[in-house]
Amino acid sequence: MKKIITCLLAGILMVTALVGCGQASTVSAAEHSGDTKILFIMPDLNDVFRISLSNAIMSECEAKGITVDLVQSGKSVEAQYSLVESAKSQGYSAIILKLADASTALQMDVASNGLPIVYVNNKPKDEHLEADKYIYVASNEEEAGQLQAEYVLNKLGNPSSMNVIIIEGEPGHSGTIGRTSAVKKTLKDNGCNANYVFVDYGNWSDSKAEDLFNIFTLTGQDVDAVFCNNDTMALGVIEAMKKNGYSYKDIPVCGVDATSNGCASIQKGEISFSVLQNAKGQGAAAVDAAITLSKGGSIKNIEYATEDCKYIFVPFEPVDASNVSNYR
Amino acid sequence: MGEQTSKTKAAKAVKKRRVRKISTKLLWYIVPLVTFTVVVLVAVAGELSKARMKEMANETLESSISNQADNIESWLDNNLEFFSTVKLVIETEHPADFELVKILDAFYGYNKSNPDGMYIGTSSGKLYTARESAFTEENVTESIWFKQGITRVGMAYGSAHQNYNGDMVISATGILDMDRVDLKVIGADVPLDSITVIVNSGVKMKGASSFLVDTTDGTILAHRDASLVSTTLSDTSSDALLKGAAKKIAAGDYDTCEIDSYVAAFKQVEGTDWILVSYIPKSEILGPIYQMSWYLVIIGVIAVFLIIVAILLVVRKVIAPLTVITSNITAMTEGDFTINVDVNSNDEIGVMGKQVTEFVDSMRNMLASISNESEKLRNESDSSDKVSKTMFSASQSQAAAMEQLNETVDQLAQAVNDIAQNATTLATVVSDTRDNSDKASISMKETVEMSQKGRSDMEKLSEAMTGIEGANNELVESINQVGAASEEITNIVGMISAIAEETNLLSLNASIEAARAGESGRGFAVVATQIGKLAQTSAESAQNISKLIEEVRGLIEKAVGQANASAESIRENSELIDVAVGTFDKIYTNIQQSNELMEAMIENVSKVDEVATTVAAISEEQAASADEILTTSENMVQMANDITKSSQDVADNSEELAGTSQTLTSYVQRFKI
Repeated sequence: MKKIITCLLAGILMVTALVGCGQASTVSAAEHSGDTKILFIMPDLNDVFRISLSNAIMSECEAKGITVDLVQSGKSVEAQYSLVESAKSQGYSAIILKLADASTALQMDVASNGLPIVYVNNKPKDEHLEADKYIYVASNEEEAGQLQAEYVLNKLGNPSSMNVIIIEGEPGHSGTIGRTSAVKKTLKDNGCNANYVFVDYGNWSDSKAEDLFNIFTLTGQDVDAVFCNNDTMALGVIEAMKKNGYSYKDIPVCGVDATSNGCASIQKGEISFSVLQNAKGQGAAAVDAAITLSKGGSIKNIEYATEDCKYIFVPFEPVDASNVSNYR
Repeated sequence: MGEQTSKTKAAKAVKKRRVRKISTKLLWYIVPLVTFTVVVLVAVAGELSKARMKEMANETLESSISNQADNIESWLDNNLEFFSTVKLVIETEHPADFELVKILDAFYGYNKSNPDGMYIGTSSGKLYTARESAFTEENVTESIWFKQGITRVGMAYGSAHQNYNGDMVISATGILDMDRVDLKVIGADVPLDSITVIVNSGVKMKGASSFLVDTTDGTILAHRDASLVSTTLSDTSSDALLKGAAKKIAAGDYDTCEIDSYVAAFKQVEGTDWILVSYIPKSEILGPIYQMSWYLVIIGVIAVFLIIVAILLVVRKVIAPLTVITSNITAMTEGDFTINVDVNSNDEIGVMGKQVTEFVDSMRNMLASISNESEKLRNESDSSDKVSKTMFSASQSQAAAMEQLNETVDQLAQAVNDIAQNATTLATVVSDTRDNSDKASISMKETVEMSQKGRSDMEKLSEAMTGIEGANNELVESINQVGAASEEITNIVGMISAIAEETNLLSLNASIEAARAGESGRGFAVVATQIGKLAQTSAESAQNISKLIEEVRGLIEKAVGQANASAESIRENSELIDVAVGTFDKIYTNIQQSNELMEAMIENVSKVDEVATTVAAISEEQAASADEILTTSENMVQMANDITKSSQDVADNSEELAGTSQTLTSYVQRFKI
């Protein structure tokens, strides 16, 4: 009897220990099977980049023979939430989502009922991403700012100090934060003591940017370079410079996105520099990731995936007068 | 005896070794195993919980810092929103300069975070503040807040600086977008105290501390150590934590990490260039981990000890009855079956004891009966020896008799075989005879038919002969009629010749008369001549005819003679034919009789054949039976020989058996029962 009791006790001890350890390593097994079917949610298609991204995703799916449904949810978080929540029951195996509001990512993660989500164009917080489950496909915003700063430093001969204007996008937008902070960091890292004579939000708008520059002219400060978070605002700055007699030949104005207007402006010698956010590359990467995650796989073998398997950063491409003709 | 003693010794040695081994052996195997398992369990559990607890501590630290950063951010945002609202009101109202103070007054004291109220400075150096505000600025355009303010329209916080009172404040400033001639900057100061409270007291983790750094110039905005506030965070700092943090911030690496003896987490306060650093001494995190490891080790040691004790007790208890059984078995090997095993445990050993008792009992009974039986056996084997010897001689004589019988049967078989052969030959001959007589009968029948046919042909010939006779008679009659006709013709020709002669005479007369008549009778003379000539010719022809008729008559007479001869020979033939027909009839009758005799013979031959066949078959069967009898008798001879040999063997065996039973009796008598 004692032996039996001893055995039982030993057994209980072992089981308890193993269960205790096991809890930490509980991993939800991939339960996806069958055909890949993607739900692609976009708030709207009112932006040049979003249109290109959407086209890239749709044509990539078509090329790979994948079923994809594009839904324009409007800017309503509720609409996005209910779409994401019902996706699984409607037979989708993955979701590609441009968040209407970047801070709602956690809500969407929960609503997905375990379906993988590939976020695009609007960056959720890092802690709301999960390796090979909730990932973000974009270009690294910091890279855009870094390329802008490097171009300007190079053009102005690596000055030790500089008067800088930054026209930012929307407050809180990942593009705004990443691009702006990268400009500042790159200047600092290259030993340039930047004096930020004007930094304000242009909300991606050319007229707002133009207005801001007009106001800046009243402050009586000098400026050596203007960094804009996108091309549209850079065009607004160029307009203001023309009206106020600033020389954009000497004061480089940089944008982001290499839009057709932006490229035209570069070709005319107005905007000095832009970076192309590769919509096609991002679309292809998003679809690749969605297919891989549908099958319970890992994105680690997809090009440009980060080591933590949470991001795929498709590189930006610098555009200036020397190569602008390739992008028109 | 010597052999037995050594065996007993060996058994004792075996017994001693085994007793010592079972308890120690079990311990030797089980204790290291259990110890190893427990050590592995403790190590794995300790390692896993250590990793997990560290992770949890990091998460707690990160969550705490995140909470602090959010609090700072929301506090800043709330204030900034208020300031922006005021700014918007002013921009919308677009008041004249003298009205600005009135508006600033209206909002003064409204926001507790902003004790001095809002103020407006212009590029021409004017300053507007609320009337009750103590805020002053000697050189507006050179002031830090104004310089910060002119870099944006939307209000934002600048870096920390000392205000007119020497307190550390940060100013939210922005250009008032309403009058583009004289640039106006609106500002509001918030003291850093509130943020310091959040930084120093908002830590949500026991043992953790925080400080806030402005990355634009590296100023420490808040720290528990008040002496460090407003100093610059530098990577040449003597404090290892500050030095490490400075390096990390400079590198832009905000991942949680271990710096010196601390674990530090970093968090950027969004909307600012501020970095919040939260740190906790590693010992704080590792304390509970070590404590838990200790518990695990102690539990492990106790578990090993308890298991060893339990095993010892169990083994002792289990092995106890084995000792009794062992001594009993030893006694048993010495031939003592008077022992009694008394074990009342309910496990395999109990069963073993019970089985040994049962074994001893049955052995005891068995040995007793073996002893009895072997005695009986010896007696019986003696008598069986005698019997088998008698049987041997009897079977020998039987074998000789059988041998003789066999020879006799052999001869008989040969004789029967001869008979069978002869009978078969006879049957064959009879069978051939029957076949031949069948053939003769068939030929006979054919002969009968032929003779019948011959007779009928002969009859037909007779009829034909009668026909021929008739025809011949008719022919004679016709010839006779021809003879009569030619007779008449001869008469007619005689008349013609007489006429021709008269005519010739007449012509002569005529010619004479004509010659008389002279010339006139000349013509008549010619005719008379001619008629004379004709009469002569006719006479000649009649003569010729008469000659011919004579010849015909001769021929007819010849034909009649011949026809008569034919008739004669026909008659003779008919007679001969009639005789032949008679002969045929006789032959037919004879053949018919022969045929009947032949059939009677065939019938008899068939009967003979049947009988002969039957005889042959029977004699063959008889021959076969004779052969079987022969074989059987041969077997019997063999068997008789075998019996002789077997009875010899039996005799030998029973002798051996008698010996064996004697030996057995002597062995059994050795056991104590």
